Amino acid sequence: MIRIPVERFTLANGLRVVFSRDASAPAVAVNLWYNVGSRNERTGRTGFAHLFEHMMFQGSAHVPEMAHFALIEKAGGSLNGSTWLDRTNYYETLPAHYLELGLWLESDRLGWLLPAMTQEKLDNQRDVVKNERRWRVDNQPYGDWDERIQELMYPPDHPYHHSVIGSMADLDAASLEDVENFFRTYYAPNNAVLTLCGDFDPADARAQIERYFGEIPPGPPIPPIPGRSELPAHLGGEQRLTLEQDITLTRVYLAYRVPPFGDDGFYAALVASAVLATGRASLLYRTLLREQGLAQDVVAYAFPIVVGASMLVLWATARPHCTIDQLESALLRQVAALTEVSDADVERAIRMLEARQLIDLQTVDERADQLSMYTTLFDDPERVNTELSRVRAVTTAAVREFARAYLVPENRGVLRYVPRGGAA
Amino acid sequence: MSKFDRTREPEPGAIRGYDFPTIESRRLNNGLQTLVARHGDLPVVTVRIVVDAGAGAEVAGEQGLATLTANALEGGTSRLDGSGLAWELERLGVQLDTWVTWDALHVGCTAVRDQLPAVLALLAEVVRTPAFPAGEVERLREEQLAELLQRRVEPRALADDMAAQFIFPDSNPYARPLLGRRESVTALDPAAVARFHASHFAPRHTAVVMTGAISAEEAHRLVERSFGGWQAKPAAGAVPAAAAPATGAVIHLVDRPGAVQSELRLGHVGLARDHQDYYPVLVMNAVLGGTFTSRLNLSLRERHGFTYGVRSAFAFRRHPGPFVIQTAVGTDVTVRAAREALNEIDALLEQGPTEQEVATARRFLAGVFPLQLQTTDQLAARLAELVTYDLPADYFAHYRDRITAVTRDDVLRAARAHVRPRELAIVVVGDAASLHQELADLDLAPVERHTINGHAA
Repeated sequence: MIRIPVERFTLANGLRVVFSRDASAPAVAVNLWYNVGSRNERTGRTGFAHLFEHMMFQGSAHVPEMAHFALIEKAGGSLNGSTWLDRTNYYETLPAHYLELGLWLESDRLGWLLPAMTQEKLDNQRDVVKNERRWRVDNQPYGDWDERIQELMYPPDHPYHHSVIGSMADLDAASLEDVENFFRTYYAPNNAVLTLCGDFDPADARAQIERYFGEIPPGPPIPPIPGRSELPAHLGGEQRLTLEQDITLTRVYLAYRVPPFGDDGFYAALVASAVLATGRASLLYRTLLREQGLAQDVVAYAFPIVVGASMLVLWATARPHCTIDQLESALLRQVAALTEVSDADVERAIRMLEARQLIDLQTVDERADQLSMYTTLFDDPERVNTELSRVRAVTTAAVREFARAYLVPENRGVLRYVPRGGAA
Repeated sequence: MSKFDRTREPEPGAIRGYDFPTIESRRLNNGLQTLVARHGDLPVVTVRIVVDAGAGAEVAGEQGLATLTANALEGGTSRLDGSGLAWELERLGVQLDTWVTWDALHVGCTAVRDQLPAVLALLAEVVRTPAFPAGEVERLREEQLAELLQRRVEPRALADDMAAQFIFPDSNPYARPLLGRRESVTALDPAAVARFHASHFAPRHTAVVMTGAISAEEAHRLVERSFGGWQAKPAAGAVPAAAAPATGAVIHLVDRPGAVQSELRLGHVGLARDHQDYYPVLVMNAVLGGTFTSRLNLSLRERHGFTYGVRSAFAFRRHPGPFVIQTAVGTDVTVRAAREALNEIDALLEQGPTEQEVATARRFLAGVFPLQLQTTDQLAARLAELVTYDLPADYFAHYRDRITAVTRDDVLRAARAHVRPRELAIVVVGDAASLHQELADLDLAPVERHTINGHAA
């Protein structure tokens, strides 16, 4: 297998920096992860971490409004940011000779954001984000699934109980003061990781990073994640919810509480997800689609999240003739079959995961994002090279054991979508 | 206080060269073309087989057959059943994808280098000797029908389908979804799939593209071994799309009662891939709605907060595809958003873009070109484009120069020639009860109301 080169250092202010050189294309990825996500939001401010992410593109003390996007597009680069449960990331991929532009923009909003914040900008981005919520969730069939699953699977005082996008009421309540407090609390060099990947000179880049980021003072210690992070290994009883929507095809989601990303037990869940639904030889495709003709599509996903517990979520959309109960039973039968999973199924799943990782690592953007992730979550960028050994170490016996221990009725959430009027 | 002047953006360093990878192209004796390009430094190879059998090749009454044929290729071969085929590929870590565009049918995957000989042999089997077993074809047809049902309740897909229906006259194949329509798909059967395969899959109409960790010599040897003996007869030519008459503007209001957001599409017939204004139109579209800092996005998103995002695009196909502006806006600002979009078009046509806008668009398009060629699959897609649109092997070596040569005058001329606001079909998928009167009051065009099934309401 391949080995991604990794070099790291830490600035005096606590900013962790990761370098990975790859001169095969004249491109460089600049990627920052801030160790803050929706899990850090306080009661009454759901969705705020994400709204804040939008504010980071609205200019800073030395960068005029709209200049952030304009300068990068003019340089021939691409950029974006995203917010999730555990983190917020910001990234741009640039022609290599524009590296310094990326460092200037990123350092300015980390060090000098607040002077540029205005009520008008906040109101505008609040409208944008409310439209994002309508687009992703409220105006979309099954669009609230992750919100509902999180509510089913995590207790109200757990930081994963609420969704990243948040509620309309909480978005309405967000103020400029919230922007200021959130920035002062979480946007500090000691709560961030900066990764460069691609074609750059490490000595020059290091000097530039010192110059642009070095004078930004560290922030105070990061407060603990609000609420109660610890969770029992099991859900402690099945949680069910059936929702009616304007849909034509019913859909069933099954969720199981599993060990958090990074734990040894997580990798059995990851392999189980690939056994279940990655590829057309997967358990769910070959049974629910090919053999039984009950389902239209199947998906399984182990969430790479780290606080308390993660989830293995799988879902299937029914063909029109299949009832919601038939679909649920069929899914449950295959989940149960994992306790007897074959060597061939497990080997196939591991080969698929290995190939996926190799293919994903082709771009400097993805490499940089993974390096930032492993550094933020585990303080170990080398995991980009060692993670697959954890996947390969998963044996058939381990998947069977995982299924017996975790894929049990008292540890699952069931979310069912049926057409309005209860036709199915 | 900062220790140096942060108010000035840093100057770029010395520009580094970029050369589009060299393409080695050959033909086997049976006419099959091979395009190979070495790329990247990871031990992976993308294989993409491009067959001249896109949805544009379907005959009347069989719309959706190209999609069904592509999907049914995974139903098994004369040697392996569908499950057996999936196992053979996936135990090597290979996920097979089969799909169609209007202009081609694609069979592709990315494999670890060492597996390539086995993978290529399997792909050749899939393309040359598919079995199309009845059970599999019927299952996949039912899935295709269910997907069409699904598109009626998924507002983005519904708006896309409705836009196509109202932009193109019924006689034009592009008026309907790539997947076909319910009536035509219902009638498809295994015999139709086998017939489509027999008449369109032939070496003279097929290209094998390989990109990544492979030499041209090895690639050509592998292709010769897997495809050299293929002697299927060449197919008939594709059916040309009907010419599309220009239509006056109409507002099509598709009712989703209670919708909290309106999916908005503004579109008319655009250009074919071989149009001489291809590059001026690319740059023009970047200014209008092709980038984050485009006029449309700065107005509708950053100035007014109407939307999460808006973009415009020309779909360049063998025949003129659609030009469409697409966005999703809050129900209460739907009419204002449509008007703003039209105002932006009018302003662009009247005053033209600024020199700076054109310069930014050129630099953006030229700059991201190599950034979007980092993967073997992205490169394979470009090579497939050469095949499908009959472009020379060195075409992409000149891509950035052609972008850079576009002037402000070119852009203004292209905008005036190819964006025609009075001909736009305006499609609004949303809550008709709250929107109808306000749309009528716009006094822009007649409002026609439709159900989600496309019927007059």
